[in-house]
Amino acid sequence: MARLKVILKYVAALAATALFAFPLAWMFLTSIKPRVDVFAKPPVFIFTPTFENYSRVLDSEFMLQLLNSAIIAGISTAFSLTLGALAAYGFSRYGRFKRADNLLFWILSLRMLPPIAVVVPFYILLRWAHLFDTRFALIMIYSIFNISFAVWLLKGFFDEIPPQLEESAMLEGHSPPVVFLRVALPMVRAGLATTAAFCLIQSLNEFLLALLLTDVDAVTAPVGLANFQKYFGLEWGQFAAAATIFVVPIIFFTILVRHHLVRGMSFGRMG
Amino acid sequence: MSAAAPPSAMQAAHQRYRWFPYALLLPALVVLVALTIFPLVFSLGVSLTGYGLGRAAGFVGPANYAQFLRDPSFWLALRNTLVITVFAVGIEIALGVCLALLFRESLPGFRALSLLIFIPMMLSPLVIGFFWKFMFDSTFGVLAYVTTLLTGRTVSWLTSPPLALAAIIIVDTWQWTPFAFLLTLAGLQTVPPQLYEAASLERASAWMRFRRITLPYLRFPLLLAVLFRTIDTVRIFDLVYIMTGGGPGDATITLSVLAYRYGFQFYEVGRAAAVSWLIVVLINLLVMVLLSFMGKSGAATARSTGSGRAR
Repeated sequence: MARLKVILKYVAALAATALFAFPLAWMFLTSIKPRVDVFAKPPVFIFTPTFENYSRVLDSEFMLQLLNSAIIAGISTAFSLTLGALAAYGFSRYGRFKRADNLLFWILSLRMLPPIAVVVPFYILLRWAHLFDTRFALIMIYSIFNISFAVWLLKGFFDEIPPQLEESAMLEGHSPPVVFLRVALPMVRAGLATTAAFCLIQSLNEFLLALLLTDVDAVTAPVGLANFQKYFGLEWGQFAAAATIFVVPIIFFTILVRHHLVRGMSFGRMG
Repeated sequence: MSAAAPPSAMQAAHQRYRWFPYALLLPALVVLVALTIFPLVFSLGVSLTGYGLGRAAGFVGPANYAQFLRDPSFWLALRNTLVITVFAVGIEIALGVCLALLFRESLPGFRALSLLIFIPMMLSPLVIGFFWKFMFDSTFGVLAYVTTLLTGRTVSWLTSPPLALAAIIIVDTWQWTPFAFLLTLAGLQTVPPQLYEAASLERASAWMRFRRITLPYLRFPLLLAVLFRTIDTVRIFDLVYIMTGGGPGDATITLSVLAYRYGFQFYEVGRAAAVSWLIVVLINLLVMVLLSFMGKSGAATARSTGSGRAR
């Protein structure tokens, strides 16, 4: 009886997992299918795998768009992590001033800002400042969301480390800046890595702002994927290959932060 | 070492480094203010003008707001946004709780399986939407093939209005049920096991145990999930843009897609700004609920961990 229950649970769990994993598995299968099999009706599961789609994608401008994405996400993350760590430590250790809570909540509300609301003014401003279609513009705009996220997540990590270590370091005569750099920061290394991974994922995935604020030079990978139809017709095999290449690092980062998923996804309020 | 000397030495250090907290907080605050205050005020201003392609930006007052209130597309967009929000969030929460109850027992392999389930929510809605579009395709999509097998008819998912909206809800549910699952699973771990032992002594039914013991502990995570998801679906754009573009016709248009059309297809920038301001107001209302709700726990953490020694 108990055994049957366990078996049923495994069946249910496997079925649920299959449901969530199938579209991704199908995407990968499509990416290694020869062209005829991509469009086969009924869909085929057995075919001779080919890397033809991948070699096409590797030769296309999608690689440049991936590079743009990597540069924009990387720099914005580094910038946001620096400012975010400073501010998070400030709120955590010196956050007893008046209205500190209001300030924190204002920062949180920025994370919820709908991109469509800022895109029109940014469009006009960037055109005027000749910064339209530059990586710099996207780096700065993504930093709004990333700094806001980093402050909240890192504040949680700083709150968790006991203040005694910092206090004793200060008693030994080290100045507050040195204590921050040498004592506090190394203790939240896991928090910094987690925050960085989440910022990278979010910046890589962003679409609306990149779509409307770039044109040619600074086009990112998601926008490139969206344009696939325009330039490649309905080459689903190639699209699947490009999407797979794009998704692999994101899955890698997800596995990296698997122990902190709750925290990252709930903005540090749980977990 | 005397007992009195160290604290005063620390105080002296803090005195000398009184600028330090400012150095910590100001860079982030200055950047955030600079990057957000301008666009929001600017867009409020633009929303009150006739700014558009090849037109002078004359002040028109609230005319843009009055105009889109008369636009049937706006009411359709509002309706669709609400329908997507209610159905997607509702189904995600229900399924998420079911999954969490199934996976709460740590049988071998369950952790790895749940990690696989978490992956969709980390991916770009754009990639997901695109790929589901391929699966929904009525000529060679694998899902359309399955629905044809089941119903005996050709089902054109993305080109018939009610089904297109349903398809968007299905994909959003697929992507975000893992989120409700994740938060619920974490919530379940906070239930003290002794409570279940006591309940089994009293022979409480499974449903009673869930209602009386489990559910109270899930209140916080579920409310958090509902709020985060609602904020996301109210501004939904990527999925709709890529799967249907708001079509067929206006059938799946949402508020964000409407603002996009006004601004970047019809070049009615003033009206686009007006719609996007409406979204901001809507989301701010939701965020206020979220904050008042998180405020309690947030303030509590701030009190318990905030530095007693900073001043």
